[in-house]
Amino acid sequence: MGSSLPPKEANLFKVIVKSYETKQYKKGLKAADAILKKFPEHGETLSMKGLILNCMDRKSEAYELVRRGLKNDLKSHVCWHVYGLLYRSDREYREAIKCYRNALKIDPDNIEILRDLSLLQAQMRDLSGFVETRQQLLTLKPNHRMNWIGFAVSHHLNSNGSKAIEILEAYEGTLEDDYPPENERYEHGEMLLYKISLLEECGLPDKALEEMHRKEAKIVDKLAYKEQMASMLVKLGRIEEGEKLYRSLLFMNSDNYRYFMGLQKCLGLYSERGQYTSDEVERLDALYKSLKEQYSWSSAVKRIPLDFLEGDKFWEAADFYIRPLLTKGVPSLFSDLSPLYDHPGKACILEQLFLQLEDSIKKTGCFPGRTQKEPPSTLMWILFLISQHYDRRGQHDIALAKIDEAIEHTPTAIDLYSVKGRILKHAGDLAAAAALADEARSMDLADRYLNSECVMRMLQADQVGLAEKTAVLFTKDGDQHNNLHDMQCMWYELASGESYFRQGDLGRALKMFLAVEKHYADMTEDQFDFHSYCLRKMTLRAYVSMLKFQDKLHSHEYFHKAAAGAIRCYMKLHDSPIKATTKEGDDMSNLPPSQRKKLRQKQKKAEARAKKEAEEKTEEETTSGSSKSGKRQHARPVDLDPHGQKLLQVEDPLLEATKYLKLLQNNSASSLETHILSFELNMRKQKILLAFQAVKQLLKLDENNPDCHRCLIRFFHRVSSFPAPKTDTQKLIWSVLESERRDISQLHGKSLIEVNQSFLENHKDSLMHRAAAAEMLLVLEPEKKLEAIKLIEDSTNKLAPVDGAQGPVREWKLDDCIAVHKLLETVFIDEDAASRWKARCAEYFPYSTYFGGCRSSVVSYSLNHNVQNAPENGVLAYQEAKKEETRSLNGKLHAFKDLTI
Amino acid sequence: MVCIRQATVEDLLAMQACNLLCLPENYQMKYYLYHILSWPQLLFVAEDYGSKIVGYVLAKMEEDASEPCHGHITSLAVLRTHRKLGLATKLMTAAQNAMDSVFGAEYVSLHVRRSNRAAINLYTSTLGYKIHDVEAKYYADGEDAYDMRKQLKVRTAHHHGHGHHHHPGGACCSGDAAKPVEADAGTGASASASASANAGERRAGGVQSR
Repeated sequence: MGSSLPPKEANLFKVIVKSYETKQYKKGLKAADAILKKFPEHGETLSMKGLILNCMDRKSEAYELVRRGLKNDLKSHVCWHVYGLLYRSDREYREAIKCYRNALKIDPDNIEILRDLSLLQAQMRDLSGFVETRQQLLTLKPNHRMNWIGFAVSHHLNSNGSKAIEILEAYEGTLEDDYPPENERYEHGEMLLYKISLLEECGLPDKALEEMHRKEAKIVDKLAYKEQMASMLVKLGRIEEGEKLYRSLLFMNSDNYRYFMGLQKCLGLYSERGQYTSDEVERLDALYKSLKEQYSWSSAVKRIPLDFLEGDKFWEAADFYIRPLLTKGVPSLFSDLSPLYDHPGKACILEQLFLQLEDSIKKTGCFPGRTQKEPPSTLMWILFLISQHYDRRGQHDIALAKIDEAIEHTPTAIDLYSVKGRILKHAGDLAAAAALADEARSMDLADRYLNSECVMRMLQADQVGLAEKTAVLFTKDGDQHNNLHDMQCMWYELASGESYFRQGDLGRALKMFLAVEKHYADMTEDQFDFHSYCLRKMTLRAYVSMLKFQDKLHSHEYFHKAAAGAIRCYMKLHDSPIKATTKEGDDMSNLPPSQRKKLRQKQKKAEARAKKEAEEKTEEETTSGSSKSGKRQHARPVDLDPHGQKLLQVEDPLLEATKYLKLLQNNSASSLETHILSFELNMRKQKILLAFQAVKQLLKLDENNPDCHRCLIRFFHRVSSFPAPKTDTQKLIWSVLESERRDISQLHGKSLIEVNQSFLENHKDSLMHRAAAAEMLLVLEPEKKLEAIKLIEDSTNKLAPVDGAQGPVREWKLDDCIAVHKLLETVFIDEDAASRWKARCAEYFPYSTYFGGCRSSVVSYSLNHNVQNAPENGVLAYQEAKKEETRSLNGKLHAFKDLTI
Repeated sequence: MVCIRQATVEDLLAMQACNLLCLPENYQMKYYLYHILSWPQLLFVAEDYGSKIVGYVLAKMEEDASEPCHGHITSLAVLRTHRKLGLATKLMTAAQNAMDSVFGAEYVSLHVRRSNRAAINLYTSTLGYKIHDVEAKYYADGEDAYDMRKQLKVRTAHHHGHGHHHHPGGACCSGDAAKPVEADAGTGASASASASANAGERRAGGVQSR
């Protein structure tokens, strides 16, 4: 390095490298300039100067210098290495790998460059390249532990587990018998556990077990040791030893239900789907009765039997389980029981049980058959439980009556308001739900959970500005106004993106969805530093599972939602490019004048607020820039596009959407939504074969789904409208479709009209299927619009059966009915039909604000402007609390004044 | 009933979400990764019957060789909806046991807001922590923190349990294994990553950088 320089400058060059490594950039820069004064074209110095400038956020100068340096000294491995580092810092890993490879051509045994290359290969999952590089490193430095481990891990990742085992054993062969010394016991133990997991993975449980016995004294993590041993004993069928081990694990932690499952497996009493013969149930019952004596403090031993017991025994066990929890007042009791609602018959038993307990407490103050008086709070917790029960059953009126009774009993219990808010949300009154959550929040301002729940409800009710104001109460970070984005608060960004989308603000919606997408890109990036770190720390099991986790990171639910949201935004932008900015105005025209005025006021206020915030921000920037510049390394860049307007100015929205669609296709291939979006997008892009692929995937996933039916009909209807093929490509596409069409059973020997007809016949009792058939009828035969509407209106909302008998609740779901209303409004464009539908649904969903149900807050408010008469008992207290809070926070919460329910 | 078990990498996103719902001190994903890839034995979750993560403890070993070997609770949270089940106690106990048995920690430390009476009560009366010191203006909003500690083993004893865990003066946490962010020969990108990870740590109370 710096070899072509005279001694004085060569020393200066060393100073540059050292300064770079120790992040003393100014010093490095000074040294570089000193050399360049004498040798202005010295390649390696130019490169290093560029690298240092890169660290000082002077990107474009950096690239210019590094490139010039390289041009002046193409034979220097330093120049290539630096170029690689520069690309790496910009996450351009493929380019970086190319540079490193060039550097290695010049200096093939350069360990530093080989190590850097291996990290990139691990990051990019260039696994065969990774193996190769790790092999070179081991050959060059076989006395480094890390090189042995790295070589083994590379083979494991490259699907050659047995080779990895061989390498680890060869490595162990190099160690003394008394290895490890005290300060490396943990690392060595981790290596051994990694090797054992490899043996198991390679289908060698015998060998793994043998190894465990041999190395027991050297394994520090005894819990992992026992867990691993137990699972291996089960695999080997050595169930008696397994049973013993699981019992000892249970002794250590009787709250880990995996141990219970392990024990059941050893006793031959485990079924994946929880289905047992009556004999098995008896044995299980006996098992848990004996466990109950041993682990009386464990709630698991009482809860698990509820899963397999039936009938009277279930009643008895449930009764035994819930009584102490009611006395104690455990708020999560209902959510703990709720999985039982999927077991046939159990919900009805629970209902009877709950009502019996309520009745007994109300009449005698004691549980049935007992003489000991319960504390007054027990009644409140029973009402709390029953209200959630009825909510789950869809009987919102009873649920609300019960929760109101509980609130009357104990008006200070915050959880009651949270649950009431949740019930109202389920019943369709989003504004009232938000108000209730806000009331709960105001009862304990220091509790972030209540704040989060409130913010969520506000976003669901499309009160985005208010939601942000509320969230910010917990997210100020120093002089930073809001750290939700920095802290990767994805639920918030998703919920607010979805709200903006509903309100037609595509810019802001897109901004939120892309923010979530960015978090996932950052998380992928996060793994980089750990490729070398874990080899040193020896946490190899955790490392390998981290890599697997990263490989499917983008299949995570939040990413899926964000990508789907972004794709919808881009498609909407494509469909109405000019309207994009004035969309809000359009939406407004659909609203009644009173709400329109409200919305306008809201918008004006929001604009004013944004302006003020922007001003405050710039002010902040300037002050922090001058006075506190020493303290802060990086000033937070001002958001130049707070409303996402720039995001809307993309040249080709469909191209952008395609990027995210690919991620969905690669990571969420089993989701219907992925292929529906693919269909929609490719139809717009006129990519006929890709759209057809989507249709095929949809039919494979669920041919009876209404949306799949829509895609099928729309696709072939569209194709049939094409003119005869002319070019060769068109002819090719045509012939592919012809032959593929024969493979779709639905289409055999039928016209599309007939296909639609038989779909309707097959699903004539389902609202959503009828709606899909009606919509397709309109597509195929537009003149039959009235007939199609009649198909929808003739649907009947029957009482849903409960355990074979007729239940108290009707079948239709609120969201489905809203979707049908939007269909009538925007696709059929029939105002009369839409308002008929609305009136009908207002009967079914009296709390729904969307349909203006008679008990919804919108109607009760407009009927009598006197808030005190509003049926929501939350309102009055809420208004009081609101005043209180506004005062106490010096009016900082002025936005709360806007809230009316 | 809620299951208490060791956390896996797959739990980290849910742990982060749980933290963001409950606590004002939040961390980026990289900080969670740093914990699980350094001390996989010290992270535990509470998982409810519907497989939802309703609580967690995020803990670490301090790697400052000048202090005796000890653990630190970075963050502990339980959803408000799942109080009164003793989850916090169970999570803490699990993490403390692992610090002792795997890393031979002499004591465990944590920071708590001076105003957080419920938490202080849990730490002192249920879990046996004592106030060791006060850190003025420790939190971002200017609130003081109590530096609390709990002794895990008697100081003079060199041996315990199986007799082979001899950890003289903090050697248990091999000081040579630098943090990933520091180990990196700093490019601009990783430098900023290290800055943010450390910022998170300061709030959590991991590093006494002042």
